[in-house]
Amino acid sequence: MRSRDGNHYLSLRLYLVLLLSSLALNASEYLISYRYVVKDAIIYNESLYISKTMKKCIGKPQNELILENTNGNNLKTIISKNSEQFYEYIHKLGLNIQHSEETTNMQNTSTTILTLKTTCFKVDFNDNFVKISALK
Amino acid sequence: MKYSMLFVAFCSISSLFGAEQFKTVPTQEIEQNKMQLQQVRADLAQANNDLAQANDIIEQNTREMAQKERILEKDNTMHISVVGQGVAPMNTTSPAQAYALAKRAAVADAYRAIAEKVKGVRIDGQDLIKNMMVKRSTIRTSVKAMVRNANVVETTFKEGLCEVEMEIIISHSDFI
Repeated sequence: MRSRDGNHYLSLRLYLVLLLSSLALNASEYLISYRYVVKDAIIYNESLYISKTMKKCIGKPQNELILENTNGNNLKTIISKNSEQFYEYIHKLGLNIQHSEETTNMQNTSTTILTLKTTCFKVDFNDNFVKISALK
Repeated sequence: MKYSMLFVAFCSISSLFGAEQFKTVPTQEIEQNKMQLQQVRADLAQANNDLAQANDIIEQNTREMAQKERILEKDNTMHISVVGQGVAPMNTTSPAQAYALAKRAAVADAYRAIAEKVKGVRIDGQDLIKNMMVKRSTIRTSVKAMVRNANVVETTFKEGLCEVEMEIIISHSDFI
């Protein structure tokens, strides 16, 4: 006959396995790229591309961001609702800067392009929040 | 046949005598060459001395520059702070949108400023002069870099102009 403690640990283990597997099932990978152009100190164009990966990404999750989630599993909606936080996070990850300036007869024009190259992100959808982490 | 044999024999004998001829060089010329060689050696030694002196001066100047300017040394960090400016577009629908767009432009400007400080700027100039007058003067600058871990310290928005103060802490290991 098993002791009561033994049964308790078994059920706890089972519960943990179920929880972890359910978390793993909700995790998915997305490819995100971001680019914006600033011309003469005024924003000219901004584009954010999000798509689900068709192949599994290689890399370890780093620099996680937690966003509030009230709209199910649609990452685009979640990001648009928390855009400021997400853009800050993307900036922290690192952006490529391409700046060119031309001064002709004392008249200046400038163009700055900031780009996040297509990066794979692991996204964990939970009941009230979404965990986004870049794979590197 | 007989004559040809004789001719061949004559040629071979004459070549033998020719080979035994030695070129005589006067002693004065040898002495002169020796002197020139010594002169060249002395010049070479002098040049080596000059080079060593120049290297010393360069090293001393570099040390002085390092003392004057901040150089990122091993196991050290450097704090860089910049201010970026951005303007809201004319066709915004709300003040909030104007602020957000102006901030985006200001952040881009701050990133550009950081890249300029850390990596440097490529500058290209061109002047067109016609009939002794400057027709066109063009200066082109460009920056290409990758910046990560920059932090926004302060943001101000006044009369359509957004200013973002941004800082970055770089360490020697970031460049290895």
